Amino acid sequence: MHILIIEDEPKTGDYLQRGLRECGFTASLARNGRDGLHLASEEQIDLVVLDVMLPRMNGWEVLAALRARAETAQLPVLFLTARDEVQDRVRGLELGADDYLVKPFAFVELVARIRTLLRRGPVREDDLLHIGDMEIDVIGRKVRRQGRVVLLTAQEFNLLYLLARREGQVLSRALIASQVWDMNFDSDTNVIDAAIRRLRRKLDDPFDLKLIHTRRGMGYVCEAASREPHR
Amino acid sequence: MKGSLTLRVSLAFVLIVAFSAAGLGWYLYRSFVDEIVRRDDHALLGKLRQVQQLLGSPGAQQLVHERPQYFRDTMSGQENSLVRIADATGQMLLDINAPGERYPVPPPVPAPSRADVKAWTSSAGYPAQVVSGSARLGGERPVHITVARVYADRTAMFHRYRQQIVIACALGAALAGLLAALMLAHGLRPLRAIAAHAALVRPGRLDGQIDSTSVPRELQPLITALNAMLARLHDGYTRLSGFSADLAHEFRTPVNNLLGQTQVALAHPRSAQEYEELLASNVEELERLSGMVDSMLFLARAQQDDVVPVRMRLSVGEEFARMAEFFEGMAEERELTLQHAATGELQADAQLLRRALANLLSNAIRHAHPGTVVRLAAAAQGSWIELAVTNAGDPIGERDLPHLFERFYRADTARSEGARSTGLGLSIVGAIMQLHGGRAEVRPGPGTNTFVLLFPAD
Repeated sequence: MHILIIEDEPKTGDYLQRGLRECGFTASLARNGRDGLHLASEEQIDLVVLDVMLPRMNGWEVLAALRARAETAQLPVLFLTARDEVQDRVRGLELGADDYLVKPFAFVELVARIRTLLRRGPVREDDLLHIGDMEIDVIGRKVRRQGRVVLLTAQEFNLLYLLARREGQVLSRALIASQVWDMNFDSDTNVIDAAIRRLRRKLDDPFDLKLIHTRRGMGYVCEAASREPHR
Repeated sequence: MKGSLTLRVSLAFVLIVAFSAAGLGWYLYRSFVDEIVRRDDHALLGKLRQVQQLLGSPGAQQLVHERPQYFRDTMSGQENSLVRIADATGQMLLDINAPGERYPVPPPVPAPSRADVKAWTSSAGYPAQVVSGSARLGGERPVHITVARVYADRTAMFHRYRQQIVIACALGAALAGLLAALMLAHGLRPLRAIAAHAALVRPGRLDGQIDSTSVPRELQPLITALNAMLARLHDGYTRLSGFSADLAHEFRTPVNNLLGQTQVALAHPRSAQEYEELLASNVEELERLSGMVDSMLFLARAQQDDVVPVRMRLSVGEEFARMAEFFEGMAEERELTLQHAATGELQADAQLLRRALANLLSNAIRHAHPGTVVRLAAAAQGSWIELAVTNAGDPIGERDLPHLFERFYRADTARSEGARSTGLGLSIVGAIMQLHGGRAEVRPGPGTNTFVLLFPAD
């Protein structure tokens, strides 16, 4: 998957490119709107991450130009804005942007949004999920490890299912709060940590193989391969 | 600009005074003229009667022949008085007519009154009157008497009188205009004082109120409105500058940590794990900063009414259950029990309500004594729907109570908890309640603290 980043701020552009490459994407970087438009028409691009505040040709103009061309009209665009004004968001969405993030944003949040927009795995929609020695029966809402049933509350199951469906992806606390409890605001991070600890006590503590890992400063990830170092 | 008020009002005054003075002058002049004309007519009639009497006396015939000037004398001997006496055949017995005027001779009337006095115009163009009567000369021969008079002096007098009225009107109007200008200059002085005050208003000097004691009653509402405006601006400005000052102050600690620990780390070569530690710690500080930015932006936008709550019917019970579920883990770790009991519905923005409740609950759980119960309850109280979060903890200090909902106010100065909190949670709760037309309150009880969200009942 090839992502085009159009961002003039040097550090932002660099870390976005590097971070997205490390997440397994091909990432190209354009430092201004004109170059970005040029790249979008020259190369096979799957998604554009577009900063609104750009020199010479601003993000809105780039977006309008992208939508005006037949070959880029359907290209998913996620725009980044530093101004959390309703008008800004409405304008972007009206111009045909698919999603937006307000700076400052968590990098894992950006990756999650990009993955959603690209509608590609590793979101697993199977009825049975296997991670390590864990098996999740999505229909029956049952979890087994090494064949033994792990009894989880509805809330714990939802939390585990969210992490398991996105196996290997780091999910931010904000995303977890939003997806599991529909709390779409900056809530007390302690709450998510406590919920994860509860889940771990039942799911991981009795077993040697740990499945839920903390990525300090980022969030949580569910995977069987223990990536060192983890805490 | 629509011209000068003073000029317009003065001109209006000039016109009003000129018109009313002219009207009054004209009326008085008319009455005066009528009165003079009436008197003159009566004088003329009197003169006729005098001549009739004179002619009726014995020896009058002789008098007419020998002393004709006698008749003129009785009429003050003026050039303008004319007398003519003729007998029944038309034979002229006497004709006093020094200027040689030709005037109409009306037929004699037995007892002439004012109605019989006829007007004519002299050869010089002056108004004149004439009246006729009859008498028996010396008590025998009937004669026809005509007396007439030319009012040259009277016309000149009327002319002078008119001139005086015009001059008086003009002077009066000019004086009125001048007085109006002076009075307006005086009356508008408070406005100049207001302007002078307004000229001094600048950021940081908004609190000065305009003195309303020396201002006329009509301007009081203006002063009151201006003062209220100044007070609102002052309030807003103070809040805004306090806002940026607070923000800068609150940013210092995390920025200082970031700068310090990064510089210390860079001073010497470190292991990969140490770098990782540093970066993770930096992320924590940055997340704190980011959270503060978000919260400050939310508060700023809420205060500018930039956040429009999307109200919908929410089941209070369901919302409480969702909250209890969300905080279950955190409560359990602190050996707390979450209890909630509520029925009924509420008109509110779901996300904002959850944010307010989450802030209250996270506070309640953090400050509750272990092993106690944190309660969520709802009740309708008059025109309010109250959602209450109660915990059992140390009572909030008397001194802290009035400030709890101010931003960056932390009742617990202990850094350990302070590092987690931005000090904005409760002010966000307050802002959310304001957006809903309600308010947030704290009610300390014996061994408990209750935070209440008051929503207006619909």
